Amino acid sequence: LAHNTLSDPFVAAAFWTGLGALALTILLSLQILRLRLALRRNERVEARALAKWRPVLHAVVVGEAPQLPVLAANERLPFLKLWVHLQASLRGEAADALADVARNLGVDASARAMLERGRRGERLLAALTLGHLRDRQAWTPLLRAAGQPDNALALTAMWAMARVDGQAAADHILPRFIESGDWALSRVAGVLQEAAGASAEALQRLLPTLPETSLPRALRIAEALRVALPAPVLDGALRSHHVDVLVAALRNVATPDALDAVRSLAGHANWQVRVQAARALGRIGERTDVETLAELLGDREWWVRYRAAQALADLAALYGEALEAVRARLSDRFAADMLAHVMAEKELA
Amino acid sequence: MNWHTAIVNFVTWFVMCYFVALNGGYLLLNLMSLRTLRRRGQEQFLDDLPRAYLGLEPPVSILVPAYNEEATIAASIRSMLQLTYSEFEVIVVNDGSKDGTLDVLKREFALLPFPEAYRRQLATKDTRQIYRSTLHPNLRVIDKANGGKADSLNAGINASRYPLFCGVDADSILERDSLVKVTEPFLRDPTVVATGGTVRVANGCEVSGGFLTKVGLPRNIWALFQVVEYLRAFLFGRLGWSNINGMLIISGAFGVFRKDAVIAAGGYRPDTIGEDMELVVRMHRLLRAKGQPYRVEFVPDPVCWTEAPEDFRTLKNQRIRWQRGLAESLTANWRLMFSRNGGVPGWLAFPFLMAFEWLGPLIELGGYAFMIVAFFTGAISWQAFAAFMLVAVGLGILLSASGILLEEMSFHIYPKGKQLLVLGLVVLLENLGYRQLNSWWRLVGLYRWATQKEAAWGTMKRKGTWQRETSQ
Repeated sequence: LAHNTLSDPFVAAAFWTGLGALALTILLSLQILRLRLALRRNERVEARALAKWRPVLHAVVVGEAPQLPVLAANERLPFLKLWVHLQASLRGEAADALADVARNLGVDASARAMLERGRRGERLLAALTLGHLRDRQAWTPLLRAAGQPDNALALTAMWAMARVDGQAAADHILPRFIESGDWALSRVAGVLQEAAGASAEALQRLLPTLPETSLPRALRIAEALRVALPAPVLDGALRSHHVDVLVAALRNVATPDALDAVRSLAGHANWQVRVQAARALGRIGERTDVETLAELLGDREWWVRYRAAQALADLAALYGEALEAVRARLSDRFAADMLAHVMAEKELA
Repeated sequence: MNWHTAIVNFVTWFVMCYFVALNGGYLLLNLMSLRTLRRRGQEQFLDDLPRAYLGLEPPVSILVPAYNEEATIAASIRSMLQLTYSEFEVIVVNDGSKDGTLDVLKREFALLPFPEAYRRQLATKDTRQIYRSTLHPNLRVIDKANGGKADSLNAGINASRYPLFCGVDADSILERDSLVKVTEPFLRDPTVVATGGTVRVANGCEVSGGFLTKVGLPRNIWALFQVVEYLRAFLFGRLGWSNINGMLIISGAFGVFRKDAVIAAGGYRPDTIGEDMELVVRMHRLLRAKGQPYRVEFVPDPVCWTEAPEDFRTLKNQRIRWQRGLAESLTANWRLMFSRNGGVPGWLAFPFLMAFEWLGPLIELGGYAFMIVAFFTGAISWQAFAAFMLVAVGLGILLSASGILLEEMSFHIYPKGKQLLVLGLVVLLENLGYRQLNSWWRLVGLYRWATQKEAAWGTMKRKGTWQRETSQ
C-alpha cells in the first residue's frame, strides 16, 4: 500500500466507507432534528387539545352539562388518552356521563374504525375506549383483536370484551387462559375480574370437565378470583397424584370440610405440598393440629418450617395457647429458632 | 510484491476490516433495537394509566450491598422504601463497613436485632447480626464480615423471602416505578430468569429526597462523554442483544433475577470483579447446557440513575476494573462459546464480546499504532492512512449518533435544543481522543487481568453535587 492512491480499489473502498459513514451521520442528524421538530409540534397540538377538553370533561365528571365543542381530527388521540385516563380512575355516574359525552362526539364509531385499521398504538387505545364504553357493536372486532399474537393488544381486547359482555367473554376467554400457561396470572385475573361473577360461574362449570393436566392452572385462576370450588372438584384434586394439582388445590382450601385431606398431606414426600398443607392448617386447623404443625417445625425444608411456625402462631392465637409453651416443648434447635423468628415477626407487625 | 509489502497489506486490511466489522456489528444491533423501541413507544401511554394492583404480581426482594456508604445510605434506602410496587422488601447488607454505615442505619430506621432463622443456601462470610426496622416492616439489615459485593449479594439472597430479587447499588437513584417496569417481562413470559434496566448518568441532574427531579447534562467533559457512552451501551448494545436472547450483561446497578435460577447456578462468585456479568454469562451457560427454555431480557426504560466519575483517575480505574471483570466473566465460562446448545449466546454474543470487547482494545490500539508507524516509515501511503482514519473515526461517530437517534425516538429525556446540540458535539469529540484513551485503559485492564491481582470493592470518588438532600 506504500504507493497506493485512491485509484487502488481497496483504498477507495475504505475511503468511501468512511465517507459513507459521515454522510449517514449527517442524515441521522437531520432525522434527529426532524423527530425533535415533530415532537414539539405534537406537544403543541396535544397541549391545545388538553386545554380545550380537560375543563369540559372535568365539568362532566362533577355533574355539569357543558356545551360540547367540535372534536377536531387532530385532537382525537389526545382527547382519547385524556378520556381513557379519566375513565380508568372513575366509577358510577361520573364514568357513565363521560361515556355519554364520548358517544355524543362520535368517539365510539371512530374507535371501532381505529381498532380495525389504526396503527398499533391507536388499536390499543381504541380497545381501551371501547371497553370503557361497553360498546356491543365492537364485539366482533374485539374478538378478532383478542386472537392476535400481539399479547398487549390481545389482553386489552379481552379486557374490553369482559366489560362489553361478561358472560360471553368468560365463556370465550376462560378456556384460553386455562390452556395457555404463557399468560401471567395477574393479567388473567385482571381481565376476568372485569366480569367476576360470570367468570366464577364459568369456572365452576368448567372445572369438573377439565383433564388433570389443566387443573393446576384452573385452580390458580380460581384462587386468584376467590371462587368457591365445588366440593367434588376440591376433594378430587386433594386426592391427586400430581404435585402441581395438590399444591394448587391446597391453596384453595378455605373450609374445614377438607381438614382430613389436608392433615394427610402434611406428611407428603414433596416439600412444596407440605408447605401448602401447613398454610392450609393455619387457615382451617383445629386445636389438635398444633401437634402436626409442631412436627412440621422440624422439617428439613426452611419454607415448611417457616409456614408451619406462622400457622402455629395463627392457631395458637385462635385457641389461646401460649406459643412460648409450644417452644419450650421443642427439642429441635431449628424448630425453636424458627418459632422464635415468627414470634418476633408477629411482635413487630 | 515482496513479503514485507504483503505483511503490511495484510495487517492494514485486517485492521480496517476489524473496524468495519466492529462498528457494523453494533449498527446491526442498533437496527434491531429500532423495532423494539417503536413498539415500546406505542404502548407507553398504557403505563400512564392508573394501575390497579391485584396482589398477584411477583413480590421482590431488593438487595442493597453497602460498604462505607454512611453519607448516602439513609437517603438511598428511604427512596427505595417509596418505590411503587405491590409487595417488596429491602435488605441492606452491611459488608463490614469501616465507617458508620451501620450506625446510620440503626439510627435512621430504628433497627432492632432480630432472631432470624437464617437460611444458608449460598456460602458467605459470617453473618454477625440481622436487624429489622421498627419503622418499616419490610426493611432488614444484615451485618456481616467483609467479603466483597458478590458475597454481600449472596448473603442477601439467603435472607430474601421472595421469588425475585433485585440487586441495587447503594448509590443508585431509582425511578419510582422502576420495579414495575423491570418485573414486567417476568409477568409476560414465565421463562424469564433475569431482566436488566437502563442506567443513565445522573451528573447534571437534580435529585431530591432520593428521587430524580430534573434531568440535565453535566458540565464536566468526562461525565458528558459517559452520557453518550451510556446511551450507546444501553439503548442498542443491550437492547439489540436482548431481542435475540443474547444479552450477556446486566448492570449490577439495577437488575432483577429469579432467585431459584440464581441459586441453581451457584449464586454470585465472590472471587471476581465483574460479578454481575459473570453470573449472567454462567446462567446462560448452565441453562443452555440443560436445554432449559429461558430468557434474559432488557428493559429500555430509564429506571436507574448513577453518578459517573468526573475525574480522570477514578474514570480510568473504573474502566480498568470493568475490563478485568469482562475478561474474568468470559474466561470463567469458555465452555459457552460454540457449545452444542449454545444458541445465540454461545455462537454469536460470546464470540462477539470476545472479538470486539475482550480483545478489542488490543487490536484497536495495535491498529492505530501500526498505521501511524507504517505511515511515518513510508510503508503505507498517506491516502491509505487517511482512509483508515476516516473509517475508524467516521464509523465511531455514526455509531454514537445512532445512539442519540434511538434516544430521540424513544424517551427524549433531554428536552432542550441546546442539550441536543451539546450531545451532538460530544459525539464528534469523543471519537477524537476519548474513545482511544478508553481503549488504552481497557488494555491496562487486560494486562491487570493477565497478572491476576486480587478482587476488591471498587472505590469511587463521589462528588454528589447534583444531590439535594431533603430532611425527613
